[in-house]
Amino acid sequence: MTKPLRILVVEDEMTIALLIEDMLTDMGHEVVALAMRLKPALEQAEVADIDFAILDINLDGSPSFPVADVLMRRGVPFTFASGYGSTGLDPAYKQHRVVRKPFQAQDLERAIEQTA
Amino acid sequence: MDGERANEAAAHAVAFPVGGGELGELIRNYDWASTSLGPIESWPQSLRTATDIVLQSPLPLVMLWGSDGIMIYNDPYSVFAGQRHPQLLGSKVLEGWVEVADFNAEVMRVGLAGGTLSFKDQELTLYRNNRPEQVWMDLNYSPVMDESGKPAGVLAIVVETTAVIEADSRRAIAEAKVRESEERFRALVNATSDVVYRMSPDWTEMRALDGRGFLTDTASPSVAWLDEYLFDDEQTTVLQVVKQAIEAKDVFQLEHRLRRADGSAGWTLSRAIPLLAEDGEIIEWFGAASDVTARHEAEEHLRLVINELNHRVKNNLAIIQAIGAQTFRNVDDLTKAQANFVARIQALAKANDLLTNEHWVDASMQVAIETALQPHRPDDPSRCLVEGPSVRLSAKTALSLSMAFHELATNAVKYGAWANDAGKVSVTWRVDVSDTGRQLHLEWRETGGPPVVSPQRRGFGSRLIERGLAAELEGQVKMTFEPEGVACHVDAPLRAPDNG
Repeated sequence: MTKPLRILVVEDEMTIALLIEDMLTDMGHEVVALAMRLKPALEQAEVADIDFAILDINLDGSPSFPVADVLMRRGVPFTFASGYGSTGLDPAYKQHRVVRKPFQAQDLERAIEQTA
Repeated sequence: MDGERANEAAAHAVAFPVGGGELGELIRNYDWASTSLGPIESWPQSLRTATDIVLQSPLPLVMLWGSDGIMIYNDPYSVFAGQRHPQLLGSKVLEGWVEVADFNAEVMRVGLAGGTLSFKDQELTLYRNNRPEQVWMDLNYSPVMDESGKPAGVLAIVVETTAVIEADSRRAIAEAKVRESEERFRALVNATSDVVYRMSPDWTEMRALDGRGFLTDTASPSVAWLDEYLFDDEQTTVLQVVKQAIEAKDVFQLEHRLRRADGSAGWTLSRAIPLLAEDGEIIEWFGAASDVTARHEAEEHLRLVINELNHRVKNNLAIIQAIGAQTFRNVDDLTKAQANFVARIQALAKANDLLTNEHWVDASMQVAIETALQPHRPDDPSRCLVEGPSVRLSAKTALSLSMAFHELATNAVKYGAWANDAGKVSVTWRVDVSDTGRQLHLEWRETGGPPVVSPQRRGFGSRLIERGLAAELEGQVKMTFEPEGVACHVDAPLRAPDNG
């Protein structure tokens, strides 16, 4: 187990957001913020007291890259999550890890260990 | 006197006819005594003179002497006569040219009566070389007088014009073919809806382009065609394929983007062939370009639809995974959990159906809620009230709302207002409009069910509603477990479905 992290989850699909929350809780982490649309995600990325973030690439039609920009500026590590796989990734963010949906707890855990 | 006569006779024997080439020689040696002309020494001066004229002429001449039309001709005529020569010499004209005897009989009749005849490009069928030949000739006949001043023979100038006539005829046929071909070509150009164009051998200059409304016309040669028809980023590709076609002197074919007559971008399938000279060099390129914009747009649309479908399928699989993980988490009764799982998947499938019917653009809140409640609600319509103003939801919000109401409905069936025969559920909402936007107030209220016991542990259903739906709507969602019935209050800003 890695050390407990304070995590922002950005995921526009309600049931998946709850699943990710459960997975993270089971790993001993704490989901301090959950955002499902771009605007609240940007607000949380700016202010939330977090060590890590999981970003769905597509937020009901809007790419989440502006959120990634804020996190990079703050130096908060993160991983992308996407049903598109890495093909949905803007070339500017190619260096970031993408967890492909649907994923299992181990996939998420490995991504956190290698990124956080 | 006698000596003079003898000398004169000797001079005749040696000198007549003087020269005259092959025919002169043949005439000198011919046995004229066997003909109606008699021995050559006895010929009258008029016949001698006429014979000299015939032999000295560069034109094909033949003289028909006497009523028999005995033939005397020159070297040029012998060429015309073909294999009939030399038998023709000294023969009667009607026997010598049996196949045109009627024609020559008329010539003799007119000529010996002192008349002349002229024929321009007269067509005759002759057997000069043992086979019928169609020939054309310019024929001019004039009478030749004897010492008494009466016509004794007919002089004919025979110029064959067959080669000229045949050349004219060939040219006329060729011209007709070219005209026909041009007409067919013009018909094809008019019939096709394709753009038609012509390019210089190296494609630096466009000679003409008929744009058919798809592209701007180029009426006179232009070197600016590249910028006229092609966007900057397309030029390199097109020129590359052009270069290959020129090098190979073979078909140019490319499907590419271009600037349409109205300035917008379109797609064309363009094909050009090189027209080659006899030496193999390219004279010009002739091309046709069809408008394939609609097909391209359809393909692009299809690609987007497939991508979107792929995304939705994967998303649904992820949702099902999430539902499965949540439903089977910490369960005591596996059979019950399996039934819950199936019911949740069915709710998801129904929500998908609803959104497919609405083309995944947006959905009515009323329909989304009624669809979610439909499998669970009692038949009695008074036990389920769904009422509020028209509100459109984005596809994603509608899906989340459906899942949340499925959870509320199953809870009502198991423990709440729909667990007995009398309880009622009312779902009502209103929309408040203020300076900050539109605010949705929605209430789920159960009445008349068995007394409510507040749950010791919050399950997936209530987490989905309170945490999930709240985040989805970016608002507050609160469930209360009062003894008279479960209630759920939603307060959320309403966004337009398209920017949700």
